[in-house]
Amino acid sequence: MSTATDMKEKAGIFGNLDSWQTSFLNEGLTNLRRLAALPGLPEKMARVRKGVTPREVVYEEDRLKLYRYIGQGEIKQKTPLCFVFALVNRPYIVDLKEGRSVVANFVNAGFDTYLIDWGTPTRAERYLTTDDYVNGYMHNVVNYLRERTGAPQVSLLGYCMGGTLSTIYTALHQDRVRNLILLAAGIDFATREGLINLWTDPRYFDVDKFVDVMGNIPAEFLQNAFLMLKPIANLIEKPINLMENIHKEEFVEDYLYMETWLNDNIPVPGEIYREFAKYLFQQNLLTKNRLPVGRHTVDLRKITCPLLNLMAKNDDLVPCSQTEPLNDLVSSTDKEKIIWPAGHIGLAVSGRAQKELWPRAVEWLAGRSR
Amino acid sequence: MDDKMSETLEQAAALQKLWLDSFGSMANVWSEYSSDSPPPEEMRKVRNGMLKGLSGTWDEFMRTPQFMEMMKVSLNGALDLKRMAREGMNKIHEQFEMPTKEDIDGILLAIRHVERRVLDRLEGVDDRVRNIIDRLEKLDERLGKMDGRAGKLDERVNQIDERIKTVDGGIGKLGERIEELSKAANRMPEAAVKRKASIK
Repeated sequence: MSTATDMKEKAGIFGNLDSWQTSFLNEGLTNLRRLAALPGLPEKMARVRKGVTPREVVYEEDRLKLYRYIGQGEIKQKTPLCFVFALVNRPYIVDLKEGRSVVANFVNAGFDTYLIDWGTPTRAERYLTTDDYVNGYMHNVVNYLRERTGAPQVSLLGYCMGGTLSTIYTALHQDRVRNLILLAAGIDFATREGLINLWTDPRYFDVDKFVDVMGNIPAEFLQNAFLMLKPIANLIEKPINLMENIHKEEFVEDYLYMETWLNDNIPVPGEIYREFAKYLFQQNLLTKNRLPVGRHTVDLRKITCPLLNLMAKNDDLVPCSQTEPLNDLVSSTDKEKIIWPAGHIGLAVSGRAQKELWPRAVEWLAGRSR
Repeated sequence: MDDKMSETLEQAAALQKLWLDSFGSMANVWSEYSSDSPPPEEMRKVRNGMLKGLSGTWDEFMRTPQFMEMMKVSLNGALDLKRMAREGMNKIHEQFEMPTKEDIDGILLAIRHVERRVLDRLEGVDDRVRNIIDRLEKLDERLGKMDGRAGKLDERVNQIDERIKTVDGGIGKLGERIEELSKAANRMPEAAVKRKASIK
């Protein structure tokens, strides 16, 4: 009996040793492949493009550029679609790379697609307010699109802070907006789920002092704040993941495209930052229908157009609880919300979102743009 | 113990908790180490578990009032330092009679105020123009309606004209008939004389 047990143990140990040997050997070989891939990294970084779909500048105002995406087929939808991005990052995340482009989904479906690039603000723009962006730049862009396309209204797709701006614009100029699509847009800031909401608490963050001293909010400050939302994942796990997968061509390409965008922050004009921090994060005036924008007050009940509210289940920057209440605050009868299993960026560029979510969004808009 | 002291102690306790929790969760992961899988795979599992534990404790820590208080103190300190440095630079610039950043900001702000006033006025003018356009449109509508009425009036006058013509025609015919009758009446005495003479 004891002999049988001994044999079994020995066989187990040798079985283990065999698999250990293979594993060590494989790990060693993989490490060699990883080392061999390292010198090619700078070249791959140099190949990263910022936006892939062909486009042309059709309108310019101060730092703002309006791009029109050039599709290969004819335009099938009468209502033009305009992407509105946040002021904190560059907008090419919506057109990141082949197979990961939100813009391409709409262009290929025959939409006349445009994108607002706010440009990089300088010290001269530090006094620009929400009013300047919404009732100035956005209004001018929409008027230009109406004139250019002959369509009486425009569909807006706002991402993150761009979603908040689009919502404000629609509430103030409902007659100009045909459809509103929001992508992880901050609306209800009463929630304390997200760290940014906690950190901007007036007891711990004096926004007036901050803006008065800094002027424009530096890109590095915003970048560090975003990194600190998940410090272990961003500062430790991510580099380890890169090193482990550096020999995999597709992984490295995705990583580099993503990191290029993530590190491409731009400063935010001081005054609009002050208004967003104070009126939205600290006082939550948008949901109370008391947000002042220039001489106007934003009333979400004035939004009557079809609304598609997309949010990410694992969003650490704009949690679902911050976006979801909008559907109950507007007067639209045609409204839909989709909570997608992804993060803030994955909502736009993840493979699954590209395969399933965006075709659905395209179909939703196509039925409402003729 | 004053408030400042107790605040500092609370912060120290929060930091201590963070490190204890972090090390505790990292150490716990090792208890799941098994020799069934090859060491590289097990090590990877342990590493992921440790990072997950660390992530959880840091997330919890960053939500504490103590962390936010520390963040506030460090941010305010950095801002004060920046302000002091700027004030020093401003003094140097002033000594050399050069424009300071404050001067440039002042000019930008002045331009901004002028721009705001002009834009407000323009918006007012815009509203007034819109009102005028609205009123003109209403006036146009009323004129349109009046045109319609005038058109109907014209039709009516035409109809009356036609009626008058018809009546004129009738009167003409009546005159002709009267004339015929009067001629007939004139002829009647001559015929009566002739008749009398024949009877005689």
